[in-house]
Amino acid sequence: MLWLLLLLPLRTLGAFEKTLGVSPDLISKYVPSKSNTWTCLDGSKTISWDDVNDDSCDCADGSDEPGTGACPNQPFYCKNEGHIGSFIPSSRVRDGLCETSCCDGSDERPGVCGNVCQEVGQAYKKKVEEEMKIRKTGAKIRSTYIAYAHKEKKRLDGVIESSAAEIAIQEKEVSRLRDIAERAESLSAAALELKQQSPLYISLITHSNALKSLQREHKKHLEREKELSNILDALRTGYNPNYQDMAVLEAVRGWEEIAGLPHINDVGKDSVSDEEAGVQEDTSSAVVETNEELDDEMWSAEELDKDLDDLLNSDYVSLLLEHDEYVQSPPEGSVLFNLASYLPDSILPQYEEFRDALTTWLVTLGVIKGETPSSTDTSRSRQALTDAENNLNSLKKEKQTAENDLKEIFNIHGYGYEGEWKKLDGTCLRTDVGDYTYEVCLFGEAKQIPKKGGSTFSLGKFASWNPSTDVKPGDESYYQKQIYNRGTRCWNGPERNVVLLLSCGTENVLNSVVELEKCEYQFTGTTPALCRPLDGSEGKDGKKSYGGKDEL
Amino acid sequence: MRSVALFGAIAALLALPEAFAVKSHDFKTCSQSGFCRRGRALAARAQEAQSSWKSPYSVDPTSISVSPENATAKAAVKSSLYPEIKFGLELRIHDDGVVRVLMDEVDGLRKRYDEAASWALVSEPTLSKGIRWAVGKKELRATFGKTNDIEIVLQYEPLLVRLRRGGEDQIVLNGRGLLHMEHFRTQTLKETVEEVASDENAEGQEVLQTENVRAWFEGDSEDDYWEEKFSSWTDSKPKGPESLSLDITFPNHGTVYGIPQHATNLSLPSTTGDSPSYSDPFRLYNADVFEYLASSPMSLYGSIPVMHAHSADSTVGIFNAVGSETWIDISYPSKKSTQTHWISESGIMDVFLLPGPTPEDIFAQYARLTGTTALPPHWSLGYHQCRWNYVSSDDVRTVQRRFDEEDMPVDVFWLDIEYAQDHKYFIWDHKTFPDPVEMTNDVAATGRKMVVIVDPHLKRTSDYPIYQEASDLDVLVKPKSGEGEYEGWCWSGSSSWIDHFNPASWDWWVSKFKTSQIDTGFSWTESTEDVHIWNDMNEPSIFNGPEITMPKDTIHYGGWEHRDVHNINGMLFHNNTAQAVRLRSEIPKRPFVLTRSFYAGSQRISAMWTGDNLGTWDHMAVGIKMVLANGIAGMAFAGSDVGGFFGNPEPEMLVRWYQVGIFSPFFRAHAHIDTKRREPFLLDEPYESIIRDLLRLRYTMLPIWYTAFRENSISGMPIVRPHYVMFPQDTAGFDIDDQFFIGSSGILVKPVTEKEKTEATVYLAEDQVYYDYFNQYAYRGASKGKYITVTAELHQIPVFIRGGSILPTRERPRRSSPLMKLDPFTLRVALSKTGTARGELYLDDGITYSHQQGELVWREFVAEKPKKKTVRISSRDLASQNPGKAVDGVVLAEYDPKNAFAKEIEEVRVEKIVVLGLNSKPSAVKLESGADLKWEFVPGVAASEKKEGTASVLTIKDPKVLITTDWAILIS
Repeated sequence: MLWLLLLLPLRTLGAFEKTLGVSPDLISKYVPSKSNTWTCLDGSKTISWDDVNDDSCDCADGSDEPGTGACPNQPFYCKNEGHIGSFIPSSRVRDGLCETSCCDGSDERPGVCGNVCQEVGQAYKKKVEEEMKIRKTGAKIRSTYIAYAHKEKKRLDGVIESSAAEIAIQEKEVSRLRDIAERAESLSAAALELKQQSPLYISLITHSNALKSLQREHKKHLEREKELSNILDALRTGYNPNYQDMAVLEAVRGWEEIAGLPHINDVGKDSVSDEEAGVQEDTSSAVVETNEELDDEMWSAEELDKDLDDLLNSDYVSLLLEHDEYVQSPPEGSVLFNLASYLPDSILPQYEEFRDALTTWLVTLGVIKGETPSSTDTSRSRQALTDAENNLNSLKKEKQTAENDLKEIFNIHGYGYEGEWKKLDGTCLRTDVGDYTYEVCLFGEAKQIPKKGGSTFSLGKFASWNPSTDVKPGDESYYQKQIYNRGTRCWNGPERNVVLLLSCGTENVLNSVVELEKCEYQFTGTTPALCRPLDGSEGKDGKKSYGGKDEL
Repeated sequence: MRSVALFGAIAALLALPEAFAVKSHDFKTCSQSGFCRRGRALAARAQEAQSSWKSPYSVDPTSISVSPENATAKAAVKSSLYPEIKFGLELRIHDDGVVRVLMDEVDGLRKRYDEAASWALVSEPTLSKGIRWAVGKKELRATFGKTNDIEIVLQYEPLLVRLRRGGEDQIVLNGRGLLHMEHFRTQTLKETVEEVASDENAEGQEVLQTENVRAWFEGDSEDDYWEEKFSSWTDSKPKGPESLSLDITFPNHGTVYGIPQHATNLSLPSTTGDSPSYSDPFRLYNADVFEYLASSPMSLYGSIPVMHAHSADSTVGIFNAVGSETWIDISYPSKKSTQTHWISESGIMDVFLLPGPTPEDIFAQYARLTGTTALPPHWSLGYHQCRWNYVSSDDVRTVQRRFDEEDMPVDVFWLDIEYAQDHKYFIWDHKTFPDPVEMTNDVAATGRKMVVIVDPHLKRTSDYPIYQEASDLDVLVKPKSGEGEYEGWCWSGSSSWIDHFNPASWDWWVSKFKTSQIDTGFSWTESTEDVHIWNDMNEPSIFNGPEITMPKDTIHYGGWEHRDVHNINGMLFHNNTAQAVRLRSEIPKRPFVLTRSFYAGSQRISAMWTGDNLGTWDHMAVGIKMVLANGIAGMAFAGSDVGGFFGNPEPEMLVRWYQVGIFSPFFRAHAHIDTKRREPFLLDEPYESIIRDLLRLRYTMLPIWYTAFRENSISGMPIVRPHYVMFPQDTAGFDIDDQFFIGSSGILVKPVTEKEKTEATVYLAEDQVYYDYFNQYAYRGASKGKYITVTAELHQIPVFIRGGSILPTRERPRRSSPLMKLDPFTLRVALSKTGTARGELYLDDGITYSHQQGELVWREFVAEKPKKKTVRISSRDLASQNPGKAVDGVVLAEYDPKNAFAKEIEEVRVEKIVVLGLNSKPSAVKLESGADLKWEFVPGVAASEKKEGTASVLTIKDPKVLITTDWAILIS
């Protein structure tokens, strides 16, 4: 029996060397045949068992060298006893460097790397524990978000219910008012048509249309001007001083003169120009203003901006009817109708008889207008109807909004299956990088705000969660990325956009902003909304980490 | 982030690739340059006068003095136009047969700039001994050379210098009578001349007549003598006209190469004569040309005034040591002759005639003059990943991590200008790079390095210590007044430039790169010895200067005008930087400094790249030609930005560009700030895997590259060699510049530089077998030359092994090259048609200068046929046999094969030997010492056959032989 005892350790030792770098699930395949041969795992070739792990590549698939690095693209399995086993690529086997991911040092020549799995394991454990702690705290906060979502749901349910009731009442009111208005209008329609033939009214409508068109064109021009000034601002701050292109230089100088800006080369040069930079902010709004004296009755730009809409929204029909009152009042009706006041009482009855006959006759002939049911009454009833309808519409809208919000709350594409993001709707996160403050209002807009004056740029509006086709909506990785796009266009470049990368954290914060490519920003931040609660299955990293991710 | 807006102007051009265009109005044509216009007008008058034209310059025979001891002859020269002006001519014959021809004005009003050669030359050349001058009545002669077949002839009237060999003119100076050295004069006021001219008295007549007497040669007017305007700039020209015109004719050579840097063919197209290729002369005036053209004689970032004239019979060359702006007209009066006309703005005549007669001789002769490429740090032959800009230290870490995750090798990460706060180089922007030392250490943890940019423009603010110290030291370039500091505009805004001609700047500049605190001011404590340097913008590029550079009337050390030293200026900057990087550590380490601007001699210290190329196919193609042209002009460590600096190359173009890049001596990917990121790990399949394989192929071949660098450092032989260098007698190959060989390895590459190509034609110049590197297919060349067609799908590069070569490679992929140090070698033995092969391998620590103490391994591998049916493959030591030729600049008295470095790698073995083209399956493969080896044989075409097809392949598994020891294997 002694020979057996002696043989056993030797054989074990041999087998250990031959299976260096072999993963546990393949270890059963690394045994020699009876004739001491071995077949490559892809079956392509049978080689001598001596050729396995002999630091010389024989198999096309590289499977004969799991432990030496002699064949490219082979995974090398480090047992890492005391820690977690992991794979490293063969390019790291025997390269003289100690890998944290191969803490047992089995990938290097003996004596190169010690076994540090104890320390690595402990550090890893500590790190995992810390992460768990954050996650636990975060998950608690997250549960309050979910509670908020539920409360919000309740509130919205209430809104929907109460607005539904109000809508029912208001609908009845609308139909009542519509009856009245329609009755009144049917009487007055013919008269109104006649009044609308008035040259004054026609002219008023024409003026109104002209003014509306003018306003539309004016707005277009204002927008164009704004765009142009943005372009010129970008040119001014961004032009390449290279090559002293005179056309560019003149454009910049011309713009600075018109806009009352200091020359860009002087900005920030010294303390004096810092003040100038301050001035620049004030003057930038003056760009569109004009300094001309206004006639008394002329509107200022501000008034035009504010009050023109109201003016144009006037109800011209009502005005026409009101106008009638003015035209008719001082000699209320014609002399004919009021003559009676000048007549002696004795002949009054005869006169009235005559008058009635005459007016009837005249009215019939169309020479004068008879009195009609009051057009103001018609207008008023119409107004009442309109008001009621508006009220109804806003109630409906309120209900619709509430219904939509309700739908979004528990939508995986919206505020998440559990509604955990609802609470963060409109929450703005900020961070300072260099001369700018970066801000992202979740589900809203991302911005770049200069600290020293100048234009704020939109970096884009919320577009979607992680759009990658590899990611399943609703998964954790889906919510780890938000896309904000269609921000302000870069001068001669693309529209700015933001990728917001989020991870679990106990606070809602923006940690970093980088512009990896021109106008493409990457924000990173944390939020408790991503701290999903721990449920036994997580927390243990059983995944193979192949590809160099350190365990630390 | 400021850069978002800053470089918008460039984006306009990026958005519209068809709008790519050089701003040619920013740069002068010959007709806008006074002295070039005068020079060309002179040539035109000579052309018109034909045989009646006679150079006004002549040698005074009575003045000749010869000195046999130092091989020098001197003579007085005068011009019939200005009999009162004195010139001196000197001929010096060097010990290697090079003849130096110097001419200067003697006792002039001022002194012509005469220091160009002192910057270019590696040392004062050794003169020949025992030259016998024959002073004749009409000419002075001397015969010399190993076989006494070279002759230098100085004809007195008119002045003419001929270099002759075998009784034939090789190089002729002033053969066309275009020599003209404008002497210094005082300005005569124009009004006076006109007044006198309008005056009818006799004196006035005389003046007019005098003018006319010179007009046949000099022209009628004083064209831009005293002031020159270009665009909005005025060059004050306080010294007046001082240009030098010289015609150099090669009566028996029909092809010329050299005078980099130009984006053009290797074989230089004509600029004058019948239907010239270009209308302007080639120009040498270091310039930052934005979006340069892919075919143009316009000057670019660097200038090396060396030209080779080649024919099937011989090669000769000239090196014109001039530092001022120079224009060169080239014409080919016949297929077998070449005329050139060199017009320089200032400086003495200092021309070296290189007698050849082979390309190898020319390289050796030029290397004796200006030096060779110092052996670079080994890691610098790996892959360099650059971008304008990696925006933060975390960005750098992420890029590194991604390379590792994708298992792609890379050695160097680069930082462009945005790392520096307000473009104050050395000063990190801590908002984005809070931890530069830690970042560098993280990169260095895997054996990698960083290269960080340091540009020459210094921001003029008192809080910038580099500027402030330079200002206090008074070592900044001065404005034309000679007082104060020249101020110009560059990335850093208002800037000044160090005058590296001023010796006071040298030690100071060296001290700035110390990584530890120094007593005397700023030192770069926020860097480590793993940080190397990129010197860009050193033409110098000045945004608001004439032609985007420094005004010619600014003043350098010694009172020299910038016009005198312009082309040398960039070299001094990168030279001093390289010294600084070398000297910052206790034990000096080899510096890596990349320069954009360069001059003759730059090769001794730095690598160069071809500047801001465009992401277009034609720029990819011309990049190869430019690297070849630089290589033959000594600037061997060269490359073009992979992917193109401007633009967003599509994946196909990027893959093809990596195929070009891995076969360039310097291999770097770089991209403009407005481009999309394009690091190889960002590509989709199959592109990503193709590029991974390409990167790994580069690393596999690093032993071949390093061996080629050693050879270059000794002999000056280019690292990438065009056809005419390999086959000087094959006229069909003279114009080939789209395929090349790597060193003496026998690797022939023909990169594909056209869109959607699936095939390539390759020229094989000799009757030899060429094996496809990847599939071992054996192609046959022909002694008359032959084109073969090979498949070249996107994942394929036409790479061949010339029959008769042995290639040492390292086939194990690693993250970076230092991690390959102990990896075993594979030998590919590509048998020639006679069944033999040879190859070399050079190794050293790749970092320090210990190789100069003999710590190196230099091996030769030989396959021979000692018996008819036996092939013997052996390894032997070359260093012991040639200790004097092992290392550049050092003659090792003896070599110890057991030196410290050899011991470090003593366990490194040969893991595999692949023999291509054996006649038949061997009966036995064994070590000469007896042991049988394991092997496999796949039958195929034999090298000795005439047919084409896949070659027979013998694979010897793990022959158990070491790389540092002698061994032999017998195949019977």
